[in-house]
Amino acid sequence: MRYYVKKLISLIMVLFLIMLLTFIAFQVIPGDGALSRLGVDAEPEAIEALRESLGLNKSLPSRFFNFLSGAVRGDFGISYHYSKPVSELLAARFPATVGLAVISILMIVIISVPLGLVCSRKEGGVADRIITLTTQTLMAVPSFFLGIIITLIFGLGLRWFSPGGYIAPEENFSSYLHYMIFPAVAIAIPKIAMTVKFLKTSVLRELKLDYVRTARSKGNTERAILWRHVLKNALVPVITFMGMVIADVLAGSIVVEKVFNLPGVGRLLITAISNRDYPVVEAVVVYIACVVLFVNFIVDLLYQKVDPRVRLK
Amino acid sequence: MESKKHLLELCDVSIGFPEKGKEKSIVTRGVSFYVEEGEALGIVGESGSGKSVSMLAAVGLLGNGGRIVNGTIRFWRGEEVIKLNALGEKELNEVRGDEISMIFQEPMTSLNPVLPVGAQVEEMLRLHSDCPKEERKSRVLSMFLEAGLTDVEALYEKYPHQLSGGMRQRVMIAMAMILRPKLLIADEPTTALDVTVQAKILALLKKFQTEYKTTIILISHDLGVIRNVCSRAVVMCEGEVVEQGEVETLFECPKEEYTKRLLAAALGKGSELKKEQNITQGEAVVRVENFSVFYEEKAAALFRAKTKKEVVKQVSFELYAGEIVGIVGESGCGKSTLAKALAGLNSLVAGNFYIDCKQPQMVFQDPYGSLNPAKTIGWLLTEPLRLHHVGTKEQQRDAVYAMLEKVGLSREYYDRYPGTLSGGQRQRVAIAMAIMLKRSFILLDEPVSALDVTVQEQILVLLVKLQKEFGLTYLFISHDMNVIHRICDRVFVMYHGEIVESGVTHRVFEKPEHPYTRELLGARV
Repeated sequence: MRYYVKKLISLIMVLFLIMLLTFIAFQVIPGDGALSRLGVDAEPEAIEALRESLGLNKSLPSRFFNFLSGAVRGDFGISYHYSKPVSELLAARFPATVGLAVISILMIVIISVPLGLVCSRKEGGVADRIITLTTQTLMAVPSFFLGIIITLIFGLGLRWFSPGGYIAPEENFSSYLHYMIFPAVAIAIPKIAMTVKFLKTSVLRELKLDYVRTARSKGNTERAILWRHVLKNALVPVITFMGMVIADVLAGSIVVEKVFNLPGVGRLLITAISNRDYPVVEAVVVYIACVVLFVNFIVDLLYQKVDPRVRLK
Repeated sequence: MESKKHLLELCDVSIGFPEKGKEKSIVTRGVSFYVEEGEALGIVGESGSGKSVSMLAAVGLLGNGGRIVNGTIRFWRGEEVIKLNALGEKELNEVRGDEISMIFQEPMTSLNPVLPVGAQVEEMLRLHSDCPKEERKSRVLSMFLEAGLTDVEALYEKYPHQLSGGMRQRVMIAMAMILRPKLLIADEPTTALDVTVQAKILALLKKFQTEYKTTIILISHDLGVIRNVCSRAVVMCEGEVVEQGEVETLFECPKEEYTKRLLAAALGKGSELKKEQNITQGEAVVRVENFSVFYEEKAAALFRAKTKKEVVKQVSFELYAGEIVGIVGESGCGKSTLAKALAGLNSLVAGNFYIDCKQPQMVFQDPYGSLNPAKTIGWLLTEPLRLHHVGTKEQQRDAVYAMLEKVGLSREYYDRYPGTLSGGQRQRVAIAMAIMLKRSFILLDEPVSALDVTVQEQILVLLVKLQKEFGLTYLFISHDMNVIHRICDRVFVMYHGEIVESGVTHRVFEKPEHPYTRELLGARV
């Protein structure tokens, strides 16, 4: 229990630091919110009035406090560009982004664990060599490029989906999934390749250890040794790795969203940056930071669930 | 005369491991021996003699592509003899654990770190018996009790890292014995344990042997351990059986040269290497007063201050020029911590100490880990001279050549890397490194513990020779009472961070005063 409280406190502190840094960064960047919203031709009085109403004329600390207290309530202000609350904009983009991430993460976990085990069980065998060669190749292919290829083959060629299309989950969930699967595959494939390689290395390292010999001396079959004794040990480093992968997927599907023209957070961010829509950019940065921190928190919890030696520390 | 049946018999067994150049390297050649039902057989030999490999081969646990290239291994199973080396994985798995079980040297790494120990023992019942699920736990608990473990209910859920070394080995034994196997193979079961724990574990093994008529094969480099437990023994050297027979005859009148050498090294226990006792209390080279050493414990909470744990508690002593003083004690008693603090490697100290030379040098236990593998011996040995700007490059080189010869290595070692040296040679390099700067005070932390007995002997002789030649003062740390007895003028006994007894070696060994010293001496096998 104490561990969780400790972790939670440090989580909040890191989050606070991130907010502070984000806030400062956007104060330093040249550009004025009111100006960018009204355009360079606007009357100086109008700009001044807008500055006043947006709270841009207040002192730095009090503006940070406003930003912070707003962020805690989920209020990131009004988008300069869309003139809508940022939270509303983000909420509308979540289904595409989060759905994409969740589906690709599921794919990564479900596919890479068995593949990794198959490779390490018969090291140097046919299956291992085929899988290793494939993963080596796929690891080097960036997701956006895979996305283009998938669009070309499955969208334009086979017409399994219409490129650029999207259906919101509340409209029709199965169609939503249909549109999500292909970009998810594009994101998942390189990550699967990496995870398989990582897990294989980890399992092979574990197989050399003394406790495996003990397990054999007890009369366990190779299969039982792998699943009952080795897997849990081998997962310890993989969990850390997966944490990074997952954070990357959750935060980094930006380009793939663009390729598939999905209305996700990534696309919102790109538009916001080109429009100097700072409230939106700030919110997305904070969102990404939260995701990474949250995933790390989960990884820490899982870590000690899997490895009892971590618990005491 | 009715001869007992040979429960396990190795006939002309040769084992090979694949090597890079495709040719198999043969590690044992024509090994033949047997174990009679109910007896305890010892296999003695130094590292690399093939003693463990032979037994691992018998149960098909060779690993690394090792294979039996020749010979047969027979085992009495029920009323028939089976050839273990001809069995497939499936049949072997029926024998392993059920009829032949094993315990290994390192109980920490031999247990699965992420499974509770109860589950690991219970697994044996699950694999080999039709014991219903509900009864398994109670059987494990009663087996724990039999293995001398206490508080078994709580222990069942504990993980290996939460137990002491002795407890872990008891868990291993419980695991190996729960199905009452016919044959128990114990591979260096006490090597990683403290002497007092070692005695208890050996007693436990003997108990099971008499109580359940379990046949035991005990693999050890320690002749004392073999003598303590076994009635017959096999001596192995470089992959071959050198000699075998009753322990008494084998140890009293060995026939083979190698056995004699082994015995001389191990049983040379009594013979002291330092003839004249050096009790002249001249000037003190080292003076330690109320000296405490601490370890920082990780802060329990974010804002809580770190706590300090006193590992060495207010010790005081003096060392005089030219003497060898031993510190003996079990793991965790603080002896190494004290040495490191004296060498200036730990700054969390309290109290005073004075040393009559700049920065004493240290020799560590593990000659494999303590030499940088990426540097040549010459580079390693000139390093202390370079750091202290002693002499020109040529002078440094000559000094290293001279030192190599002093420690019994030839000049050609100058350009070699630690990886190409044996354990004994590496320890010679480590010693050379320590005396390179000609400091008068050297700290030796278990300098021979990782070495084979015959090599131990050579290193001890070297240490005494160098000590006389350079007039050095040694602080010699060891857990091995025999080594201390042989080399030290005086001895300090450490227990829980305190020096509980000190005195001239003779006196401490003959008339120990503190109960702990008596326990240590009593545990010698």
